[in-house]
Amino acid sequence: MPDLIVENIEKQLGTAQILCGVSFELQQGEVLALLGASGSGKTTLLRSVAGLERPDKGKIEIRGKVVFDAATGFEIPAEQCGLGLVFQSYAIWPHRSVFENVAYGLRLRRVPDAEIRQRVGDVLARLGLGHLADRYAHQLSGGQQQRVALARAIVYNPPVLLLDEPLSNLDAKLREDARAWVRELIKQIGNSALYVTHDQTEALAIADRVLLLDRGQIQQDGTPQEIYGRPTSQFAAEFMGSNNRFDGKIAEISANRARLENHGWSLWGKLRGNKEPGAPGTGLIRVERVRLADGGGENHLKMQLKSALYLGERWEYVLQLGELRLRVWGEEGRAPGECWVAIPQEEFWIF
Amino acid sequence: MSRTLRSFAVIGVALVVFGPLGLIIYQSFLSEAFFSPTASLSLGAYRYVLTDSGFHSAFGTSLLVSLGMTLISVPLGSLLAFLLVRTDLPGKKFLEPWLLVPIFLSPVVLAFGYVVAVGPVGFFSLWTKALIGRVPWNLYSLYGMILIAGLEAARVAGAGPWRIAATVSLPLVLPSILFSAALIFLLGFELFGLPLVLGDPAGLLVLTTYLYKLTNLLGVPSYHLMAVVALSIVALTFPLVYAQRRMLRTAGRFAVIGGKGQAFRPLPLGALRWPAVAIVLLWLVVTVLLPLIGVALRSVVSQWGEGIKLFDVLTLDHFRELKGYPNLVRGIVNTLLIGSIGGALSVVFYAIIGLAAHRWQSRWVSFLDYLVMLPRALPGLIVGLAFLWVFLFFKPIAPLRTTLFSLWIAYTVVWLAYGLRLISAALLQVKPELEEAARVTGAGQGTVYRDVTLPLIRFGLIGSWLLVFMMFVREYSTGVYLLGPGTEVIGSLIVSLWGTGALDLISALSVIEVALVGLILFIALRLGVRLDA
Repeated sequence: MPDLIVENIEKQLGTAQILCGVSFELQQGEVLALLGASGSGKTTLLRSVAGLERPDKGKIEIRGKVVFDAATGFEIPAEQCGLGLVFQSYAIWPHRSVFENVAYGLRLRRVPDAEIRQRVGDVLARLGLGHLADRYAHQLSGGQQQRVALARAIVYNPPVLLLDEPLSNLDAKLREDARAWVRELIKQIGNSALYVTHDQTEALAIADRVLLLDRGQIQQDGTPQEIYGRPTSQFAAEFMGSNNRFDGKIAEISANRARLENHGWSLWGKLRGNKEPGAPGTGLIRVERVRLADGGGENHLKMQLKSALYLGERWEYVLQLGELRLRVWGEEGRAPGECWVAIPQEEFWIF
Repeated sequence: MSRTLRSFAVIGVALVVFGPLGLIIYQSFLSEAFFSPTASLSLGAYRYVLTDSGFHSAFGTSLLVSLGMTLISVPLGSLLAFLLVRTDLPGKKFLEPWLLVPIFLSPVVLAFGYVVAVGPVGFFSLWTKALIGRVPWNLYSLYGMILIAGLEAARVAGAGPWRIAATVSLPLVLPSILFSAALIFLLGFELFGLPLVLGDPAGLLVLTTYLYKLTNLLGVPSYHLMAVVALSIVALTFPLVYAQRRMLRTAGRFAVIGGKGQAFRPLPLGALRWPAVAIVLLWLVVTVLLPLIGVALRSVVSQWGEGIKLFDVLTLDHFRELKGYPNLVRGIVNTLLIGSIGGALSVVFYAIIGLAAHRWQSRWVSFLDYLVMLPRALPGLIVGLAFLWVFLFFKPIAPLRTTLFSLWIAYTVVWLAYGLRLISAALLQVKPELEEAARVTGAGQGTVYRDVTLPLIRFGLIGSWLLVFMMFVREYSTGVYLLGPGTEVIGSLIVSLWGTGALDLISALSVIEVALVGLILFIALRLGVRLDA
């Protein structure tokens, strides 16, 4: 039985349709990332699951128990769903110590004092906060507050842990560390988690599965490898990673491959979606999949190297052919001039 | 829990607002007082009042006073606000709290202060006369009254621009200046203490004092006539409150643009610095120091008049005399009780309404909003009168009329909008996630209020209590009609003593009231309570 079933959720705010029929399931122990740009509806979706927002349509089940059903008007208030939620701003109660922040959920559940002390102590120790139990929010660093927020959300073993951009208020270095330990932590406690983020690297790193959301709809639902490596739509392809984009016309189709052409170039790639020859098409390839080549060959282009930018761990070359501009990564500096570029067919998607 | 709270808020406010108002309207259509067995439906009261020349002249005077004080106070208040907020005025930090003081002083005390300071035989008048041979001013005139009302209202008039000027550029202050003008114009119709004390000797009546005099006009209680006069005042004030509300929306929109904490360089005044300081100080002297010195001096002299030397007549007897009047002693105790305990209970009531409306998305919230707005159109005098009638009309609660409860509920209604503004300012500081976090953690709405919202606004609540405490101590007009054994308070005692000319007692009571307010003000300032909420 899945920990969470979300069925066809719709939500309108004012005149804006925020969610247009979103459905997904969250399996026991799974970490699911809701990935999308701002305005994609991901936070509204999370808040709907948390019971803080009332959807117009749809149904939500937690561990087989219906908590919301628009059809029957049935709704369990947020406080009875028993979920754990980590806010983007952490929302640590400033008038309670770290210990009391974390203990609050247990106190509400009338857990005996001795057990509260023990469980809160365990969680704080596990998150490296043991020595901070008596502090208040304003005495903590951003990273520590974020841990308190997590501790507070997991201490009462919620069926599903909800996280709303929990790392976005941390500075870059801390965020990279946090990715790893947050995933480890969730895996250790074996919780299923719904993780909202706009940061694709974070989503790919932390989640077992990613739901790519755009304008209130799920664009793609898959493992991080699928989302990044096998996008099913042009949106999904362009949203992830850094891409080179080729605008042209579909010249030829053969089986699941197509040839895209425009002034001065013609390339074979994998055809995604239904297209007829003669229709306009868009080719996309991840920047890191394009390579400079020693000479001509199939799917090779002869281009002008305009500039080479030093980015620290690599070089980025900017190449041009008529109106087509490509970015290619390489190991060493290069002088401007002519060079060959290889576009691997398997990695070149035509939409 | 939250449902109970919300129903209580809506029903409670509707009752305390519509009850009294409805009773006034009902009474205005009767031929006699409602308790009279021969009372019948009639338009006679309207006919009588609307054709009475006394009413016409009171109406005219009210209009003149309102206009005059608006014309004086709005430019002056805006100037003061501008000087204090946007310029490098020397001594700003020191001056600012003092500029707020007039708001917390009772108008009737101030008016009395003016009488004993610069009235025909006032301290300063006689000293001036001794110096130059004559008194170059006449306090007891329409213009004297308008001038003083205008000067006193300047700080209130400046309050809007004051807040806005700190965040946005000058042209955007205009809507809030218009808003202030509407507010002052409204306050002009509600003036009571000032015209009572200053207008009386010259025979000048405004609508409120006309209403007050009407009480004893016909020997029998002329409630039906009073109801019509009260309604005529409300008919003037209500549109102003409504217009103000419309304007506030526009002004608010501008305020948002400024955002928070936008830094700006104070405008250098250059050579104008000292004249500017002089203007502010002069205003403080005239509006605060002059009347307060008057009151203080009057309270420590046995008599005063031409040819009397101050040091010959100094005495503390007036304060000792107070002990001989049980009603005055009760008045002082009651004032303290209504301010401290009553103020606290009112803050609880305001907090309940504030919490009920807090993050409640419903049509009832805007209904509640309008309900709360209504009492702003009701001067304290009228609310007091209406509650007197409520307690006379509804027999089961009649015994409460002679207890402080009657006074407390009237005060609570009069200061409803003010109190709620304080509470919602505090509630606005609570970030919604803090409450949502508690809900998700497992707390029901009531528990969230108890464990998160209320603890977070506790300092706001204490601040509100202190401010309401001061307002209740300085309140005078609301208690006038409810005054009786058991419900005496300093403010309304001063009003009733004014009729008997007991200047000695009035001055002693005034000093006690000012000292009380001063003490609370001191505590509030020490605690860092924002006075200009």
